[in-house]
Amino acid sequence: MENKLPIADEFEELAYNRGLREIFLIEGDSMFPALKNGDLVLINPNAEIAVGDIVLARHPFKKSVKIIKRIAEILPDEKYFLVGDNPSESSDCRSFGAIRSEDILGKAICRLP
Amino acid sequence: MFDRLNKMNFEIAEAHCDAPCGVYDPSSARLGAESVLSMTKKILDLKAPDASDAAATAAYHNTLTRYILVKEEQARIAKEEILILWTDYFKPVHLETYPNLHDTFWKAAKLCSACKVEVSLEHANELMTAIKEIHEIFWATKGRDVPWFTAS
Repeated sequence: MENKLPIADEFEELAYNRGLREIFLIEGDSMFPALKNGDLVLINPNAEIAVGDIVLARHPFKKSVKIIKRIAEILPDEKYFLVGDNPSESSDCRSFGAIRSEDILGKAICRLP
Repeated sequence: MFDRLNKMNFEIAEAHCDAPCGVYDPSSARLGAESVLSMTKKILDLKAPDASDAAATAAYHNTLTRYILVKEEQARIAKEEILILWTDYFKPVHLETYPNLHDTFWKAAKLCSACKVEVSLEHANELMTAIKEIHEIFWATKGRDVPWFTAS
């Protein structure tokens, strides 16, 4: 999937300064080419999310770990099936099952320059 | 402002690999199983010498012990390689296509144990058959047509 996130603009910078966005550092290449190791990404915790969005989520078994994947499917019981864009290099929902909605922490909306 | 941020100050969002290398191949288990089959045949073919011939008896015990040691070790290796494929490579999504996956691996692992405990040509051949089945499933999940072959 080539859906690369856009570079943050002045509006997103303003939103970040007002505490409406969070910045996370990407570690790993399971979302390559959309995101690569070392990218900084802006997360909107209050955004509506849909299939195809890249989201930040709490790892289902390691609660202190946060993961970033793309929503492949939203299941009827409001669970989210997340996969990496680079499946052969990704540890994702095929390994650990669907993610509960309360463990979805926000939507990745842009990359930092 | 964004261009002056220090990356070290931010929390990590993990986008990690499942395995550092991602390299799996049933050939590792097949090689072990082939050695088990070979050693089983050699043990069964080995003829005990006349007990009064001390030198021949010593040579017989030495050879038999070596065959047994190799069979034990290679059965252990085959089992370990099977378990790695089962628990690390295969994912729940593969069960949808191969609902007998767990049974196939469980029986293959059990056959490794049986081949260690026994001198059974039947079980050694069954182990090869089980690993051939794993080979076919594995490469099908990769979308590759890799013909089954043996080294011996």
